[in-house]
Amino acid sequence: MTSRSTRVLAVAGASVLAFSVAGLGHAGAGSEEGWTVDTEDCSDPDRANAPIEGTIRIGSSMPLSGGAAAAAFEPAARGLEAYIAYANDNDLVPGYELELTIGDDQYDPALTPGVVNGLIDDGVDVFAGIIGTQNNLAVRDTLNEECIPQLNVLAGDPRFGEVEEYPWTTGLLTSYEYEYGAYAQDIAANFPDSTVGLFYVNSEFGNISIDNFKAAAEEAGLEIVAEETVELGDEAPPQAQVSSLAEEAPEVLVTVPLGAGCISFLNELANAKAANEWEPVVYMTNTCAGSALILGAAGENADGVYTSAAMGLVDVSNPEVAATEPVAGYIAEMEAQGLGDIITTGGAGWNAGEVTVAVLLDALESPDGLTQASIINAARNLDFRPTLLREGMNYSMNGEEDAFYSQDVQVGQYNVADGFYTDIGEIISFESTPAE
Amino acid sequence: MPVKVHWGSPGHWAIRLVWLAATIAVVVYIPTRTQPGTINDMTTALELAAVAMALNLVMGYGGLISLGHSAYFGLGAYTMAVLVDHYGWTQGWTLYIAAVFGFVVGCLTSLPALRLKGVYLALTSIALAVLFPQLVKWQKLEWLTDGARGIDDLQYDEIPVWPILGELDGRRGRAVWMYWLAVIVAVLSYLVCRGIVKSRVGRSLVAIRDNETAAAVMGVNRARTQTIVYGLSAAMTAVAGALFGIGLNGVNPDLRYFTLIGSITFVVIMVIGGGATLWGPIVGAFLYVLVESRTRKWGADSSGVVGALFGWLNSSPATLILAVVFIVLMFVAPFGIVGLLKRLAAKVIVIVPNPAGTRSNVPPVEEGLDPSIDEPFLSASPEETP
Repeated sequence: MTSRSTRVLAVAGASVLAFSVAGLGHAGAGSEEGWTVDTEDCSDPDRANAPIEGTIRIGSSMPLSGGAAAAAFEPAARGLEAYIAYANDNDLVPGYELELTIGDDQYDPALTPGVVNGLIDDGVDVFAGIIGTQNNLAVRDTLNEECIPQLNVLAGDPRFGEVEEYPWTTGLLTSYEYEYGAYAQDIAANFPDSTVGLFYVNSEFGNISIDNFKAAAEEAGLEIVAEETVELGDEAPPQAQVSSLAEEAPEVLVTVPLGAGCISFLNELANAKAANEWEPVVYMTNTCAGSALILGAAGENADGVYTSAAMGLVDVSNPEVAATEPVAGYIAEMEAQGLGDIITTGGAGWNAGEVTVAVLLDALESPDGLTQASIINAARNLDFRPTLLREGMNYSMNGEEDAFYSQDVQVGQYNVADGFYTDIGEIISFESTPAE
Repeated sequence: MPVKVHWGSPGHWAIRLVWLAATIAVVVYIPTRTQPGTINDMTTALELAAVAMALNLVMGYGGLISLGHSAYFGLGAYTMAVLVDHYGWTQGWTLYIAAVFGFVVGCLTSLPALRLKGVYLALTSIALAVLFPQLVKWQKLEWLTDGARGIDDLQYDEIPVWPILGELDGRRGRAVWMYWLAVIVAVLSYLVCRGIVKSRVGRSLVAIRDNETAAAVMGVNRARTQTIVYGLSAAMTAVAGALFGIGLNGVNPDLRYFTLIGSITFVVIMVIGGGATLWGPIVGAFLYVLVESRTRKWGADSSGVVGALFGWLNSSPATLILAVVFIVLMFVAPFGIVGLLKRLAAKVIVIVPNPAGTRSNVPPVEEGLDPSIDEPFLSASPEETP
């Protein structure tokens, strides 16, 4: 009975999803107007403009094994695979088979070039959803020199919006500039005159995140009174760091841990709060706090954490949201593929896959047909609403004028009793060129 | 019954020439007949081979346990990065400075080796490996190192033109250029190692390793010998690190080869190839990169043999396969791949050494182990056994 219900749900969900992907989301991105890439500087301009036929080879490099960060990001790979399988099953790109190959870089930038070079040799047409700032930077020059689209980078470094210098690279995550700008605005609005403490992983990801927060905090007039770091890969509970923060007792904490460090930080914080009668408000990066699955592992200690919707995606752990279409269709499809356990953490990968397919469709409909050049043109002129995106948001990019899809931030607060997030305030928009 | 070939005989020279020709053929085949991805992998293998050779001097021949070579590797990479990014140097020239820095720091950090041995020395070297990334991230040094953010955009903007290579461009050209640089560094590292091992310094080093008191009685200056070898080993590692940073187009303190994981990787490469052998680190590096690059590509593939064997894992089997391969290797080849190949080759052909003090093909008084150390797999000298 259960499996039959699942199949029925899957079919229903698939129908809704196919409709949403193939029909609802697009807004004339296939037109001749708009930004176009210059292929003259490519190492092989003919290849960049050659039609892609039969099979579209999509490559990616993600952490699939290794440390705690790998464990946290691995579901994104399965989400991406799930969407590509779904697209093939439903013939979403007519006349084409999508072939996805994900290599394992263990979240180590030293391994990413090896994965990507191997995939280029295997004839990959387009890369999508590579995870990590340094990992993407390690291959950005190569892919831009070769004019192979590097789509939907799963890192929020503002450097993935440098259109003029790196036209073949597009980011998907909400830029850290916007995410931390939104937190600073929210703190200033809801907790005025509060002192702020910082806790972050001492890696490029953590430092860039905090740099962006500091800039926004200065603008918002927030006072930062304490700053503590934890090393990447240090899986010991950050007891000393949290104790130091407790001594300063800031009223608000802005935190950027990573992987399993998110949970151990919250557990240590709970101990410090109990010992010091200290009740700080906690804002946490959506890289880990955006998933109810990860926060759920911290139990009561995660209650009340503020974060934001990663990439503007809906909270699928909210039963009300999960019951509405097209989110219900997404959940049914994931369950049908045996991935019911990662519907929250797999959403990022699913979303990357959906945006990639939307770009391919736009490129296919363009006058040039499907080429690597038309793919990046379509990506930079996309105007699209993915299945899991929140109401009131849209993914739009407009060449050099607007280099990011996701520029809207919805701050939310995790409620442990419910197991999902409550929206706090209105959407904070940084959109430079709102969708038409 | 194996065939016996006398040391220095025409047959012996023929074997050497065949070996040299085969090596040159492989070295030339890679950049001319394989894909850029493979060329990049082989470049990494050559860089790791250079490091493992350097480590082999200290650990294999010197018997000094070092788990701090990741720091020298990182030091070389950061020397290159700072000079290129902050001071506008051309990448190639930075290799010389990396070597000098590596030598000086290597000599200074060898001081504990003069007092400590075994596990205690290993612990102090671990401290070096742990300290390096922290030093790079230290706020007071951020003006130089850019802290945890790392330094990017370090590759050659224009690939230099060498007449023998012709004009190189694009991904393939860049890969070929870096490959030949790595070949040069690896060959120089090999020659330095070979020179040291065959020299008075090398024999002093082995003597200290095998019996320190006897070596001292024989007049070996332990402090000077170990300091020089440590310094040279660090210099070679730093040059390889600088080359690695150029190829990666960026450096970051969290890169695995700059951390303790990197040090352990270097030791693994040296041991699986064969410690205290000149070719062991080279074979080990190529085997490591081959297995590592194959397994990472399987990644999320759950079909075929990989799926059948490792389908029960929720994650990629890459790390597990790598670990299993090395564990099996240690059982099958406890003296490394080169040790195993030597044993196998001894069943087919044996190089018969000349008696001490002779240079001609005079039949040996006693057949035994070959005193040479540059024969790859066909003989085993006492100096080569760990």
